[in-house]
Amino acid sequence: MVDIEKIEKRTIQSFYEDGLTEIAMGLIFLILGGYFFATTVVPEGSALGAVLTGLFVLIIVSAAFLVNRFLRFFKRRITYPRTGYVTFKKKEPSPKRRVATAVVAAIIGAGLAALYGLSPSVKLLIPAINGLLFAVAALLFANKVGLLRFYILAAGAAVIGLGITGAGIGDAKGISLFYLVFGAAVVVSGAAALIAYLRRFPRPAGDAAEGPDAR
Amino acid sequence: MPADLRSLAEIDRVIHEPARLALTAILSVVESADFLYLQRETGLTKGNLSSHLAKLEETGYVTIEKTYRGRIPLTLVRLTDAGAKAYKAYRERFKRFLEKA
Repeated sequence: MVDIEKIEKRTIQSFYEDGLTEIAMGLIFLILGGYFFATTVVPEGSALGAVLTGLFVLIIVSAAFLVNRFLRFFKRRITYPRTGYVTFKKKEPSPKRRVATAVVAAIIGAGLAALYGLSPSVKLLIPAINGLLFAVAALLFANKVGLLRFYILAAGAAVIGLGITGAGIGDAKGISLFYLVFGAAVVVSGAAALIAYLRRFPRPAGDAAEGPDAR
Repeated sequence: MPADLRSLAEIDRVIHEPARLALTAILSVVESADFLYLQRETGLTKGNLSSHLAKLEETGYVTIEKTYRGRIPLTLVRLTDAGAKAYKAYRERFKRFLEKA
């Protein structure tokens, strides 16, 4: 008997089997890590500090665009000629879901602000809190997609965050280290998936130089 | 005839065929997919895939757009609204039947 749910899940998994999404996301985390590291070096209130703040806004605003462009470019050259062209439905989150996301984000933000207000030493906990939040997000994603490596990344996020806090590195340095290490882990995971994908699906001889454009 | 069996007898036979069921299940998740992608995901031969897609197109469940990207032929397949509705109905009916069985 045909297992419909398995087929639907496998179809969603096929989008991630080339590892390109992880590489793109990992690179964004590395850029963020670099940014946070720069804030620890540049003196507060300096002109360079103001430039960095502007840069942060730019990174956040353009991250989705950059990831999209990256995926479009490489999927067209690597994935589509090997395993075929596919575009996925873009699901707009329902108003209920949007509200729920905003409420959760507000609760987390208010909780962190309250903790920080109680004791500035909470700064030391920020990498651990970040790691746990990333772990939850990665776990939810892993559950949806059903790929083992995302479960490993979820565990990795928690371990890295708790490890940095455990080592007594907090605040911006800790955050910077978290994004750099976790970003590198995500890139390595994506690169390993990409190598396995390229070995499994060699480019068909005499096929197109490029696949169709992503939409 | 018991209601459960009647419900099963009324099942959409175009979708119920295993290869076509796999195709509609894939197409229900995606916006569009090309021939190569569908062939790889279903493991069907080119001839089999063509004939099942033709059947689905004939029923109005999919649209097949034959186009070119440069000199490379590209066959894009999409599930129509009727196809999506039929697949959803099939999925629910079959799930209900399995739960009762």
